[in-house]
Amino acid sequence: MRPVPPALGPLLLGSVLAAASHPAVATRLGGGSAQHPLATGRLVALALNHLVLAATGLAIVAVLGIGLGLIATRPRFAAFRPGIDSLAALAQAVPPVVVVALALPVLGFGGPPTLLALVAYGIMPTLRGTVGALDAVTAEARESAQALGLTPAQILASIELPLAAAGLVDTLRTALVLAVSVAAVGALAGASTLGTPIVAGLQNQNIVAMLQGALATASLAFLGDAVLLALGARLRRA
Amino acid sequence: MTARLLAGLAAAALLPALLALLPVLHLAPNRLVTGAPVMASDALGAWLWPVVALAALGPALLVAGRGRASATLAGLACLTALALLLLGLGTGAAELIADKPPATRARLASGAWIGLIILAGVSALAAGRTRLPGAGFTAAAALAAVVAGLWRIGSLDALSLAVELRIRSDSLGAALRAHLALTFGALGLAACITGGLALCRRGRGAVDLAVSGVQVVPAVALLGGLVAAISALLAAAPALRGYGISALGSGPALLGIAAYLLLPLWRGQEAARRATGPDKVDAARALGLTAGQILTTIRLPLGAPLLVGGLRVAVVQALGLATLGALVGAGGLGTLVFDGMAQFAPDLILLGALPIIVLALAAEGALGSLEAALRRRWPR
Repeated sequence: MRPVPPALGPLLLGSVLAAASHPAVATRLGGGSAQHPLATGRLVALALNHLVLAATGLAIVAVLGIGLGLIATRPRFAAFRPGIDSLAALAQAVPPVVVVALALPVLGFGGPPTLLALVAYGIMPTLRGTVGALDAVTAEARESAQALGLTPAQILASIELPLAAAGLVDTLRTALVLAVSVAAVGALAGASTLGTPIVAGLQNQNIVAMLQGALATASLAFLGDAVLLALGARLRRA
Repeated sequence: MTARLLAGLAAAALLPALLALLPVLHLAPNRLVTGAPVMASDALGAWLWPVVALAALGPALLVAGRGRASATLAGLACLTALALLLLGLGTGAAELIADKPPATRARLASGAWIGLIILAGVSALAAGRTRLPGAGFTAAAALAAVVAGLWRIGSLDALSLAVELRIRSDSLGAALRAHLALTFGALGLAACITGGLALCRRGRGAVDLAVSGVQVVPAVALLGGLVAAISALLAAAPALRGYGISALGSGPALLGIAAYLLLPLWRGQEAARRATGPDKVDAARALGLTAGQILTTIRLPLGAPLLVGGLRVAVVQALGLATLGALVGAGGLGTLVFDGMAQFAPDLILLGALPIIVLALAAEGALGSLEAALRRRWPR
């Protein structure tokens, strides 16, 4: 019997949640008939917006976080390691909704404050995760590569990165969950994402639209997680 | 040696350059517009040169020097620079708004914020570098004393944030109490659930899967979903309203926040449980210790740092998540933040946001040092 792929759970959960956010299903779940569900087209447009915003943020966070993590793990920069850890803890102390709120007067309404909050909140965990993943590569592996005469760049490309790949994918999963979550919070700053029907629904008591937004946001997070889990499983096999 | 000196010079140049390039105040005709930038040379008056000198000295000493003496000096220089900068900004703001209409606001601008954050950060780094016990706590207390002292003698009164605080002091107090009530209520709820789950001998894998699954759901979605679910429940069984259950308010907020705290608390509890290997328990049993003695003399000391570590993450998360409680009508500091966002009033946002950040940093610092102290007390 083949083992169950790890991505199956989130994939199924995400699909069920997506199906439940369909106007017909959500109206039934919401209980009332006097409600105004969001049309499918509008929901899809919001989801696409959400996805673009989260993916842009994730790309920036991944490039900066993993890049800085690679730099921080080079022996030359070992002195900065304790600083990075405390900075990461401090950065996590400022919640994303507060970053969105503080960026609002500076950057105006919409996507930019959300993107800033996403990068500000996501970069330190990604950096820390990258450092952790690269630290998990054993010294023996590095030393034997050195003994074979590989240059530091070759060691990084052919030993460290492949061995740390699984850990890096886990780091990206955390970053992705953060990105989807912060993009939803961005609705408070006027970004039009799946958080918008939730925030609007809370204000004008539109329970069904709120439920649709909540289910679709959760579905997006689980589906994204499934994609990265599948990627991680494939990397582990290779 | 030369590299160290060059780095020190660069550190010395950072804050003076910042003060020369970025505005420290914004002078606005009312609380909703950004207003005209005011540079440090115009705002700080006679305080400019002492501030610049100390702000250059502190970071330079920290980067270029080594040893306790230079770190202590660097910390003191930064704290003094911070106090003088605040004093200068307050006096400058008072002079700027003196002959203007009463609605005029003098708001701290980017240069002042970045400068204050860097000075506070360098003081904290310097306190860490001294390696004296309690140095970090002393630095934090000194910082708090500086701000409180300046506030008490009224030198900050002209700043826009202080004006907003005076208008809203009642609602700020209420919001702070509600925020703390939400935070600790959710923490207590999550701790009870974790404790209950920890007593079960079976199904730990399922619990682990469930509590990590919750983390994937975005907080806004979970809160919205909870409100929707409770509304649907109330629509189906209106009799429940009689028991004080309502779809909006602290109920869904407490449930939602507690759901996210389960993961750090559960992980901390699991790590603490595993910290005591079966060999240690066997040895203790062979010595004739009772189960209660094993718990208090072996399990708790070995697991305490890990438990506190889980608690630290949970408290910091709870303080942040409680902000979103305002979305579902549970009150808290989020009310000020969201009101400020709705009115586009930066000072009101700050008035809500600053206490959240300070509380989270204080919790992180206090529980982090407790964790470190426990590790030192019972080394593994």
